[in-house]
Amino acid sequence: MGALGQLGAAALRVCEPTSLLLMIAGVAIGIIFGSIPGLSASMAVALMLPLTFSMSSSLGMNVLVAVYIGGISGGLISAILLNMPGTASSIATTFDGYPMAQKGEAMKALGVGIVFSFLGSIFSFVILTFFAPWLADVALKFAAPDNFGICFFALTMVAVLSSGNMVKGLLAGMLGLIFALVGLAPIDGTARFTFGISEMRGGFNTLTTLIGIFAVADILVSAETIGQGIKTVPVKKVRGFGFSVGEFFKWIPGAIRAAIIGTGIGILPGIGGSTSGMLSYVTAKNMSSHPETFGQGEPEGIVATECANNATIGGAMIPLLVLGIPGDGVTAMMLGGFLIHGLSAGPLLFVKNADVVYGIFAACMICALIMLIVEWTCIKAFVQILKVPKHVLLPLILVLCAVGAYATNNRIFDVQSIVVFGVIGYLYHKFKLPTTPFVLCFLIGRMTEEYLRRGLMRFKTFGAFFNRPIFCAFFAIAVAVILWSLYKEIRAKKAAVK
Amino acid sequence: MFFKKYGDIIVGIFYAALGAVTIYFAKQLPKSRVMKIGPDFMPIVIGVIVLVLALMLLFSAIKNFKANAAKAEAAPADTSDYKRVLASLVLVVIYVNILAPVGFILSTLGYLFLQIVVLAPNDRRTAKHILSYAIIDVVFVFAVFFLFRYGFKIVLPAGMFTL
Repeated sequence: MGALGQLGAAALRVCEPTSLLLMIAGVAIGIIFGSIPGLSASMAVALMLPLTFSMSSSLGMNVLVAVYIGGISGGLISAILLNMPGTASSIATTFDGYPMAQKGEAMKALGVGIVFSFLGSIFSFVILTFFAPWLADVALKFAAPDNFGICFFALTMVAVLSSGNMVKGLLAGMLGLIFALVGLAPIDGTARFTFGISEMRGGFNTLTTLIGIFAVADILVSAETIGQGIKTVPVKKVRGFGFSVGEFFKWIPGAIRAAIIGTGIGILPGIGGSTSGMLSYVTAKNMSSHPETFGQGEPEGIVATECANNATIGGAMIPLLVLGIPGDGVTAMMLGGFLIHGLSAGPLLFVKNADVVYGIFAACMICALIMLIVEWTCIKAFVQILKVPKHVLLPLILVLCAVGAYATNNRIFDVQSIVVFGVIGYLYHKFKLPTTPFVLCFLIGRMTEEYLRRGLMRFKTFGAFFNRPIFCAFFAIAVAVILWSLYKEIRAKKAAVK
Repeated sequence: MFFKKYGDIIVGIFYAALGAVTIYFAKQLPKSRVMKIGPDFMPIVIGVIVLVLALMLLFSAIKNFKANAAKAEAAPADTSDYKRVLASLVLVVIYVNILAPVGFILSTLGYLFLQIVVLAPNDRRTAKHILSYAIIDVVFVFAVFFLFRYGFKIVLPAGMFTL
């Protein structure tokens, strides 16, 4: 039976009432975890894992897939409505989603995010279904220097994000890199900048950093003006998903580019959805004919981020299923699920348990559809949150964030560190330093160093990296990005002087 | 106005000091015995870049100080309510530090109520409003506790008593 036949048979099995109901519940739980800042998709999968013990292996894996998809997608809700990314994957959704919500276009922003999350997911699942083994071979060709090239390229995006005041933008990012250095160094495990505090040996957690920078800082920033009276955010009612067919087709080329970026980054183990969303956003901004509208409430920004971060799911499943290599925290949990259900992820999975594999492929697509329906049905309920006065809402969110920060590792240190990042976020606001470069550098800094050192261990010299075409390609693009950003900065300064 | 007038100079000085401190501490790290690049390499590179960028910012801020100061003088006065900011920061700091010893329920009941009152505009601090905040506080804290503890099976800091 061909791939299509196996997929069809699997889809029929997946659509049985019990399976369908459990998947709906899984998607809904995933969305709840994804939408609450502080709770993450990996936490949701970890929570659901024991509940799948009593299920058949096929059903259990389908439920975990449902939670994973809901968890990644749910992040867009709080990113758009509260300016707080529910998950690290949705950081770039805040850039245009929140300004749209403030202009009264919350429902449209959510509609755009939901539809393009769905399309990004479906794109990557089609690729996963038909090209998984071939793409896994490609992923294996990526050695440490190539991954370093990608990380270096992603870091140069800070220059693009900082256009207007590049020196300040770069400095803002550098602090993120310094925080990423804290903890045990990659390769040799030397403790760096821990100042004798044992909790700091593990470094700062990504989730707690995001909570601090976004949620705690938001409380402090809002406290400055909140006494001047309550501002109500208007919510324009929309029909359907809030955008026209013409707009939809206009965004499709950008969505395809974002889906390719998302799937591509997802395939490479260790890079993840947060990077793909950011990279896709910056690429969309760079290639747009109207880059100045990005950050002001441009739907194309949401399209780029949401399409990419959801496409990362299908991409990340490729090395997981074909090679048994988890790319990030959530896929590591999924790998745990495989082991619990007596399945060994890897090439033999396709031979021994083809029914489970095609069941997962079918479940991925059906869960994406469930996600679309559930989120669309609940749009009106989601926007009600904008009616809660900010002085009540922000403290409630902070409590949820503190709980989430604690639940990540059961360490009170993580809760305490949100204050440090909150103060940094507030000071960045006061001194007009952009927070995005900080977050981007923090996320990528550690990976960059690790891949550089791993590459040097294997290839001995940095010059040897240039014998690798993949590294050369990314390095060349990165240098071009830096030069182009410098040229634009100098030109803008000269124009300002005139 | 203070931030507008002296902001870049303060940022420049802070980052220059940060770069220098990073390099200093990186120099104390042991060199790698297995490869040329050790755990000190990246911090030194970052420290040097930070130092150079900070000096560039400082130089430009000092050079354009007069023009920027004039702009800052002309800008509307800063109406930020720093009392609320400071009170919120103090509350958050106290909250995260008492969360473990006092426990989630008691510490959150106290923090949430006080934080809402601190952030509430003056016209929203009447007895009626305060009562509604207290009700929101109690309902929310217990809802979160039971949802996480018994729904999501996430154990929250118990502190002085357990449920």
